[in-house]
Amino acid sequence: MPPTHTTYRQKASIILLVVLSGYAVLNLLWQGVRSYPELPQTDPVTIHETRIAQLLPLLPASGAVGYVTTVENERIFAGEKTFINVEFLAQYVLTQYTLVPRIVHNRPDLPLVIGNFIDGPPAPGFLEQNGLAPLKDFGDGLVLYRREPKP
Amino acid sequence: MIASLIAALLISLTIGILLTFLFLPSLKGGTAGPAFRFFAGGGLGIGVTSCLYFVCLLNGLTRYLPAIDLGVCLFLGMLCFILFRRPAAIAEHPLPEAGKRSRFPILLAAIFSVELVASLVSFIFAFLKEPHGKWDAWLIWNMHARFLFRGGDHWRDAFASGLDWSHWDYPLLLPLSIARGWQYMGSESLPVPAIMAFVFTFLTLGLLLSALFLLRGRSQGYLAAMILLGTPFFIVLGAAQFADVPLAFFILTTFVLLHLHARSPGNRPGALILAGLAAGICAWTKNEGLLFLVIVTGSLFCTTVHVGGWRSALKRTVGFLAGALPILLIVIYFKSQLSPANDLMAGFGPASAAAKLTDLGRYAEIAKAFFITGISFTQGLIDVRVGMRLNPGAVNILLLIVYLFLAGVRIDRRDRISLFQSTAVLVLMLIGYFFIYVLTPLDLGYHLATSLNRVLFQLWPSVIFLCFMIAGSPEMSPADGPGPAPVAPGKRSTGANKTRKPKEPK
Repeated sequence: MPPTHTTYRQKASIILLVVLSGYAVLNLLWQGVRSYPELPQTDPVTIHETRIAQLLPLLPASGAVGYVTTVENERIFAGEKTFINVEFLAQYVLTQYTLVPRIVHNRPDLPLVIGNFIDGPPAPGFLEQNGLAPLKDFGDGLVLYRREPKP
Repeated sequence: MIASLIAALLISLTIGILLTFLFLPSLKGGTAGPAFRFFAGGGLGIGVTSCLYFVCLLNGLTRYLPAIDLGVCLFLGMLCFILFRRPAAIAEHPLPEAGKRSRFPILLAAIFSVELVASLVSFIFAFLKEPHGKWDAWLIWNMHARFLFRGGDHWRDAFASGLDWSHWDYPLLLPLSIARGWQYMGSESLPVPAIMAFVFTFLTLGLLLSALFLLRGRSQGYLAAMILLGTPFFIVLGAAQFADVPLAFFILTTFVLLHLHARSPGNRPGALILAGLAAGICAWTKNEGLLFLVIVTGSLFCTTVHVGGWRSALKRTVGFLAGALPILLIVIYFKSQLSPANDLMAGFGPASAAAKLTDLGRYAEIAKAFFITGISFTQGLIDVRVGMRLNPGAVNILLLIVYLFLAGVRIDRRDRISLFQSTAVLVLMLIGYFFIYVLTPLDLGYHLATSLNRVLFQLWPSVIFLCFMIAGSPEMSPADGPGPAPVAPGKRSTGANKTRKPKEPK
């Protein structure tokens, strides 16, 4: 191997690269270390999963269920598209994520409907309008409804 | 249970490594050769075994998956055994061995090791914070894995479920790899998606390192790997459990193998076939991979026509596509039989396309986003509620430009065509992404804010690789002869500056 020939410019380039990459790596590590004591005991997804998993004994092993929440179903996705509120979409998606392989449809017109009211109750009359009668209230805003056919 | 997961990963790794032995029998280069086989083979093996799992799912054979994987492993092992009994096959034109180590790479290795440990700890912190990954992980990738695993015989139902928001048209490499781990373990386990994310993150780093060890020398390998580790988005996106890091890995694998092919005396087709396989797996990882496959095939064909004529171009393109074909058939089956329509294609018509193509405001908005995100994407996921802001951070594309300016440019004569090819692919990918945004039926601002940084990251490890393939090196590449002086930036290497190399047989 021939002798190494390193110019000052090359030395400068290597020092620049090592210093900046080292700074970036240590900065990311510092952010992690700093945020570690603030981490909750359980992450929000696991908390939501545990809450939704209470529904499992009352649901069929497969098939479709409906979903209602504090806001109308159409507004769940609209809020996310405009970045106004992604919370309702996250709650809906995590409900589906927990209940796989059941399909959770974002509408109330199915025989079994999950009510996820962690951010408050729906508009007055919404449940009655859709013929939803409570089957079991799990507390903390989680209710399983049976849809009764309209007379 | 953990032993079963390790077995699943080891079988994938072995299949991939055996493939590299079959197609690159003469690869040497000291420790760099085996390291390259480990990192490239590891990823390719995961891609191949995800396809095997998909075939088993289609035929209701998932319970026999370990036996089928093992059978494939043994078959490839036997092929290798037969091939390596013929001494001529292994002794042909190896890449030169690495030279004696100098102090400088050892110093870089020490700094790199510190950065590696720090990044590992950062990855663990990110996992502890969000063990299920970030938004897209549980909205798409891990959700799909759960459907494939929990669905049993009804796993197909999810594709027709109407849950369009979960993007059921997205290819299945990552969900299948996760579900395969669970299949081996016999039950679902939370860390498996994170372990897959960890594997792909550090395979990408290892591949960049070992490929540059092989092609340019140890210093270049360490420096490139430091740039990647110094990219906060690399660790953040890796720990987020998205499919963008796996796609970045397979894009990088394709480029590296195309460079190895260009360096292969007599242009033996092994590296080209493996490059095709890697490009095929790109299409099995994300929809962007389909665009990559088309562009890289076109670029290979056009550059070879220019350099070697039609016959040579056809021969090489056929070799490349032969590698991609098995995966491509699976992708075609998936897209035609299972996947619903893509959300970007839904509602696509000539009238709306023409209106968008003639809307100059869209071009300006996208160009602005490309500029801001192009400088800032290395810093991590943006807060979509705040919007795009210029945030260059310490490591970004500007650092690479400054580095090249200071270190100079020195291009090995053998790499010229593959460098041109790779650069053309990267530029065409950017143009492709640009026009996808022009034509998107989604709200433009929303689409740009939620995806542009990730699609730019998919190309980032390859950009770093190409940068260090042309950068002047403080040491001689093991593959180089006595080195030329670095060429000032902007100047083309002259004949006097050509790196010497032994004559190749035509």
